[in-house]
Amino acid sequence: MGDSHLVQARHTSVSRRRFLKVAGGSVAGGSLLTMLDARQAPAQIKGTSLRILTWSHFIPAYDVWFDKWSAQWGEKNGVKVRVDHIPHLEIPARMAAEFAAGAGHDIILNNATILARLYYKSLIDMTDVYDGLGKKYGGWIPAAKSPIEVEGRIYGIPMYYILLPMLWRKDLFEANNLKAPDTWELARVAARTMKSKGNPCGIAFSHCNDANLNWRSLMFSFGATETDPSGDNPTIDSKEMRETLAFAKALFDEGMTPEVFSWDDASDNRFLASGIASWIHDAISAYRTTESTNPAVFKNTYVGMEPAGPGGKRVSVSAPIVFLAWKFSKNPQGAKDYLTALVDVDKEGMVASTGYNMPFLNDNAKKPMPVIGADPKLQVLQDFPKIVAFFGYPGPYTPQIQEVANLFVLPDIFTKVARGTSVDEALKWGTGEYRRIFAKHKRA
Amino acid sequence: MTGSSQTSGPDATSARAAAVSVGVDARSRGWLGSQTSRRLAFGYLLLAPASAYVLLLVGVPFLFSLYLAVSDANVGDPVANFVGLANFRAAWEMETFWIALRNSVTFLVVAAVFKSLLGTSLAFLLLQEFKGKKLVRALVVIPFTLPVAVSVLSWKWMYDSQFSVINWALHRVGLIGGYGSESWPIWLGQPHLALLACIGVNVWRTFPFTAIVLLAGFTSVPTEVLDAARVDGCSFFQRFRHVVTPMIFPILIIGFLFDTVFTLSDLSVVYLLTAGGPGNATQILPVLAYQIGIQAGSLGRGAAIALMLVPLLFPALLVMLRNLKRRDW
Repeated sequence: MGDSHLVQARHTSVSRRRFLKVAGGSVAGGSLLTMLDARQAPAQIKGTSLRILTWSHFIPAYDVWFDKWSAQWGEKNGVKVRVDHIPHLEIPARMAAEFAAGAGHDIILNNATILARLYYKSLIDMTDVYDGLGKKYGGWIPAAKSPIEVEGRIYGIPMYYILLPMLWRKDLFEANNLKAPDTWELARVAARTMKSKGNPCGIAFSHCNDANLNWRSLMFSFGATETDPSGDNPTIDSKEMRETLAFAKALFDEGMTPEVFSWDDASDNRFLASGIASWIHDAISAYRTTESTNPAVFKNTYVGMEPAGPGGKRVSVSAPIVFLAWKFSKNPQGAKDYLTALVDVDKEGMVASTGYNMPFLNDNAKKPMPVIGADPKLQVLQDFPKIVAFFGYPGPYTPQIQEVANLFVLPDIFTKVARGTSVDEALKWGTGEYRRIFAKHKRA
Repeated sequence: MTGSSQTSGPDATSARAAAVSVGVDARSRGWLGSQTSRRLAFGYLLLAPASAYVLLLVGVPFLFSLYLAVSDANVGDPVANFVGLANFRAAWEMETFWIALRNSVTFLVVAAVFKSLLGTSLAFLLLQEFKGKKLVRALVVIPFTLPVAVSVLSWKWMYDSQFSVINWALHRVGLIGGYGSESWPIWLGQPHLALLACIGVNVWRTFPFTAIVLLAGFTSVPTEVLDAARVDGCSFFQRFRHVVTPMIFPILIIGFLFDTVFTLSDLSVVYLLTAGGPGNATQILPVLAYQIGIQAGSLGRGAAIALMLVPLLFPALLVMLRNLKRRDW
């Protein structure tokens, strides 16, 4: 009876409109209190959807793992996840289109061409996620911030980077009584010795990403720099850079054939697989693929530490891979949760990539690292996190450096020198190009 | 005056008034309801979709690119400021821009010459009667219909510095030495050869289009006219020069216009084969505009470089269209 009275009383005294007002106010108030308490948006991602745009990884098995893991994460969290793969060279155009439309994917991968500094006003601030992951996994390696930090805030999550170590033929080196290419000078001596015997070395001089990465590794190991630490001023016009260019000219003349002017990112892989190369400086995919294409080469190819420059300095310029999330995403919390969970399984990803993906987090970079820690030939890669750098070193990876890389200014300086232009003249041209690009960005 | 107007009385007056009223109405409604206006309206109605297409898909993007070219727009910032001609000046200051401009013109001229020669030859071949003509006609358009990425990547393999099938064939017939020898061409590595290699792929892809346009023209020439010229003693080349060419001139001009636009704006072949390298030896304006505008994100400067194609195209367009008009086409 009492109950029915109560029900009756409610029925008579509370109108539907009043009920909605009170209930709505309570929910909103409660949510606000919860948010204030947690200092973050509520994780209401169940029933939402998440679209991810990523590249087609050089190791197809990684894509299989990535798609499967993403689907499982979606199922577990009640989020409808869709993953799209496109060639990484198409990503800048896709990002421009999505930005213009204000719609598209929630999360976008950037590979080598890192656009965080261009789009940061339209990207989700990931500082909290970045800091949280850093605390959880012993901090990020020093180079991690460079491509994604703008005015002290972080606009992306670094996932992994791709190393380009020395891949050298131990059998050929031993047959010629040559020392392992632990320094650039030893690499040059080896190339000089073996070219005449039909085994030249090779580094691309052409308009490809490998050329952008490899020649920077050489110049930074020689002590040259690309920008000052602020990233605002180019610093390539230096004594060290002149030494680098003179060395590159000698390396080309003595140890390479003109085919390096025509190479794309896969040409050096084929060059190694053909059994002709004495050494190349490339990602380990070049070595991996020889396992099936040329087992004899695979057996005799060794992976070396980044060769040291004349002062003993080693800098390995790598291709960073980061994930960015659009501000227009309807599921920003889902994007943050997804990326956090993806970093949590970083080691699984390293296994799936067969050691190709290198970790940005210190704890994941501890020895022994998955796959490469167990392979005697690849163990040396575990020492690279300390010497990794990106474009613009020692400055950050800025839009002006991105433009310099997109226009292949640096490989063109090396090409000019290799083709006979004097070091001073080539460097004068290159410095002019750098200054012009930097000045335009400063004006903008 | 008509007979009826000369009559008098109330009936005649009202009839006159009615006639005047009808006349005024007819004048006001006359043109709108006339056959001419209906035909005009129908004509404009038929033209409307094409006009809307040109306006929306050509006019608006063109105006938008003009706006971008005079602004400091970049891919990540929705707010752009007016910068006047600064983007054009920035382009002119670049050595790479002038290399790209020179290469674009070379690309256009050399490709046009080869496409004309090959297209004309192919069109004449396809005019002949032979067994399997339909199959051959279908086959020759394959390069034009294949997705550009697929066909260019195939060429990339054929131009490979180590495994080039072209070099292998040339070596087998004894025209060049083996791999690693001085005479072994590095198709995409030697500056002039690299540009020629890119032009070669462009010619291969688009000369069937030239041939088809020419073929359409040739088949429209009445055989009686050709027979008459033959009877008058004209040689093959005289018939071609003095009979066929003037008759198909408008088709030639339209084909040439299309081809010029396609060639000058072709980004894919060079971008996929060399990305403008080595050392900017194959750099052309569309690739440079893409690298600066999209990859590096400077939309304003990218648009300014892309618009540099207009001064190249516009005079040629004007001359050709004036020529057509003079011929009453």
